[in-house]
Formats: sequence, C-alpha cells, structure tokens
Amino acid sequence: MAIGYFEVECREEMGRLAYIDIASDVLKDLDLIKIIDKLHIYIDLDFPFFLAVGKTTKLPSPVHINDFSSVIEDEGKIVINIANETYLARMLTILWKKYSREEIVQPDRFTVTISSSIASVPEIENIEVYDPSEAMYKDLIYAMQWIAPEGFRVRREWVDKGYFWYIASENTLPEDVMEKYVRKYFDKIGGL
Amino acid sequence: MALVPITYKGGVYRHDIIVDLIDDLGGYIVQKHMIAQEVVLQSLVPKDDIELIRKVGRPLGGEVFESPLVGTEIAVVSPSLDIHHLPHTSCDVAEYLRRSGAKTNMIGLSRGFGKRIANLNIEERDIINEHDCAIFMLGNFEDCIKHKLPALRRGIHVPLILTGGPDKEALKAITDPPVEGYVGGIGRIGHRMKKQEGEIEFLDDMVDEVSTVLGIKREDMSKDELSISPARLMSIIEEDLSVIKTSTHPTPITIQIAGLRLKIPYDDYFKYVRAIEVDKGIKIEDIAEVLPSRMRNYIWIKIRPFSETNIMV
Repeated sequence: MAIGYFEVECREEMGRLAYIDIASDVLKDLDLIKIIDKLHIYIDLDFPFFLAVGKTTKLPSPVHINDFSSVIEDEGKIVINIANETYLARMLTILWKKYSREEIVQPDRFTVTISSSIASVPEIENIEVYDPSEAMYKDLIYAMQWIAPEGFRVRREWVDKGYFWYIASENTLPEDVMEKYVRKYFDKIGGL
Repeated sequence: MALVPITYKGGVYRHDIIVDLIDDLGGYIVQKHMIAQEVVLQSLVPKDDIELIRKVGRPLGGEVFESPLVGTEIAVVSPSLDIHHLPHTSCDVAEYLRRSGAKTNMIGLSRGFGKRIANLNIEERDIINEHDCAIFMLGNFEDCIKHKLPALRRGIHVPLILTGGPDKEALKAITDPPVEGYVGGIGRIGHRMKKQEGEIEFLDDMVDEVSTVLGIKREDMSKDELSISPARLMSIIEEDLSVIKTSTHPTPITIQIAGLRLKIPYDDYFKYVRAIEVDKGIKIEDIAEVLPSRMRNYIWIKIRPFSETNIMV
C-alpha cells in the first residue's frame, strides 16, 4: 500500500493480519489510498471497539467555473464556453438556483449564456461548483464503516483540517474512553 | 444398489442419450443445467455403472466426475447480508459448494452481527434446521467467535460446520461443546478468493469437511434405512405433479439426504401431495411427513425411517 504510515493493532495476530488485508482492499476499492497519508487502526476485543485515526494528504482545492471553462462578455451576454463536461450538471444547478432558469440559456452542449445585466464575468468565474474534499471525507467515513467489524452501531466520527478519527462499538462509548484512546493513537501518528 | 453422486458435463448435442442411459440404469437426475452449448447433469447413479456413462459420454464430449454433495441442501449462514460478508466470503463459499453439487441457501441473520448482541431468531433457527447441515461463517477473531457462537447455535440440531479466520485447531479449542466440523482460514475478507494457497485450498478443505460430516450423517441413517430414497420420491412426484414441470425455479424439487423441498404453495397442494401413490396402495403420507416449510410457503417432506413405517419402497 502506498500509505505513508499504516498500522493495525490488535492482541490477536491472526485477526490483525486479516484486518490489514480488509483495510487495504476497502481503501483500494474506494480509491482512497492516494488521499490517506497516515492510518492507525486499533481493535479492542474486550470492550469491544474499533478505532481508526488518520491524516489525509493535501486534498485538491475546490473547483470554480473558470477551472473548466472560459467566461467572456459578448454583446450584452456573458458566454461560458465549457471545456470539460464533468461539472456541467452541477454548474447548471447552481446557476439556475442563483439566477433562475429563465435567465440561463444553453444554445448548445458546450455553451451557456447569461444576460450581463444580472451578472459579471468575475462573479461567474469565481462560483464554486464542487468541493472534492467534502465527497472524500464522506467516502473516508464510509470506508471506516466498511472496514470496522459489523454490528458496531454506536459510532462517533470526526473530520477536520486533514485529520480524522472514527470509533465504533456495540456498547455505549463513554466520552472519557473515546478521548483517551483518540489522543493516544493520534500521538502514534505524530499528533494532531 | 448403492447410488453415488456424479456430475456429467458435456455438449447439448444428443445429451438425451445420457439422460436415457441414467434412467435405464436406475439412476436419477437431480438437477439439469443448460448453459449455452453445455449441459450439466447432477445425478445419482449406480456405482458400478459410472464407467459405462463415461464411455457412452466420451464421443459426445462428455466428462463424468464424482460430486460428493449432489443430493444435499446446505445452509450457508452469515451474520448478516451486509457489505461486510457479501459478496466475497459468503458467495465464494456458496458457489464452491454448488460446484460440488450441493444446493446451497444463503441465510443472512437479522441480528447475527456483533459480539455481545449476536443472536438467532426462531424463524432463522427453524429454516436452518430444515437443511442437511449448516455452515456458520464467522469472522476473524477467536475472542468474538468464542463469545457469539453459543448464541448462534442455540436450538440448531443439524450438523454444524464452523468456519472462521483462525486456524482449524484454534476453532476447535474455542468451541464448547464441539461442533461437527471446522474449517479454518475462511474469515471475513475484502476480495474474491483467487489464490490457490491460503484461499482456494481452504475452500477445498471445506468441501472435504462437509462431505465427511454428511458421510457420517448418511452412515448413521443407514442403520435405520429410509422408507424410500429421496431421489426416487422426487421422480414419482415429478411424474405426478404437472405443476412442477411448469415451475420456473431452478430446482422445483430440492433433494435432501432424508427429504425433499417442493417449491409449490403448501396450502394449495399439501392434501394432494399426501395422497400421491408411491407404490401399490402406499401413499406419501404413509412413509413421510408433509410439512409446511418455514422457507416461503413451500412444502417440506421428511421421509420417515423403516423402523417407524415398516414399509420399504
């Protein structure tokens, strides 16, 4: 695996090795290996609980309209020429919401026009269409739910500024237990 | 006449010769698959005639091999049907057993997950008890298996084969009272089993273990023979019940070691099935119990032994 630091900790060696494989398979399936820098998984068989703490790599920045199209003003209209259709549907949804459907005209597949009386070129260029980090964090938590042993329905998760933790159990998780373990394992990956 | 389970695999062209041959030899075809240009016949045939079938099948491109699990219905029980167990482990196990001729039913428990909270409900218990044996597919930790197995096996009286990530010896050590079979190395995994070493080899072990467990069960039953062989009863019902011929189920009649499952509604047909004549003056109700199955609305026929009926068909 291409993760900088990856460790599974458990007192049963056979189970530990199995969970290294499971975590690798799940992260590969969800294409998350590229975005995880450090990952430490701890499985406590007595309580029992599953804890994962980790650090993500630098995530791609949000996508704005000018990242995938050129915006020009021409004869009282703002013309958006789209180079990459990937974000077209999201962009249209945002523009419809912001300027109403009547104001947004799409004469062909790769062109969208708006009257220049209601918008300006810099304004359109800087509209954020998609934030990849949001989807990635969702995928990350989904991956942790998948990796964790099944039936651990009491779950807590936290994602912020390139760090995340996920803890799950079938028993009630007291705050102090969570804090103690989360801090301890964050220390193992170099602290928050 | 001892019937042994075999699989015949060959071309569709003139395969009716083989079908007739098996019939003439006194054997039974349990299941027939037609896949494109290939036909697969899972059959029970007299042991001495296997060579003859092989010889007749050779010019037709047919192969014959022994399939120890033909004529058995096995429950593959996993703690749930969630992404944690499907499609990889449960499907691999069920598919591998099918290749050996078994009819497998996958049973995902509604509350089989977790360590402390795992349990088995009455409906699940009854459905599992309608099979010839059950394979319990548990996870990777000895501690969890030890803790949850007693709750999951409660009330189950068919032979159990326990699978899990720990090796066979470890599984034996943590199971008290012991179960009938153990297969180590098949725990939860996140990919299809492809490697011969460490993956497929455990599936082969599993087929061996299931065959051994069912062999012991058959041996026990041979001390008090069934009043009719399930395969023979199947062919009688097939002849009599026209609704079976129009069924879209892959196996409208599923053979078990000591019974049959008829995939037709119990309420509509149980009286008719009970009254089917199997031999002169002998009806099905004289030699078997016709019960409502817990699986959908099917009929479950439990053949009674000779000691109970004093009839041998």
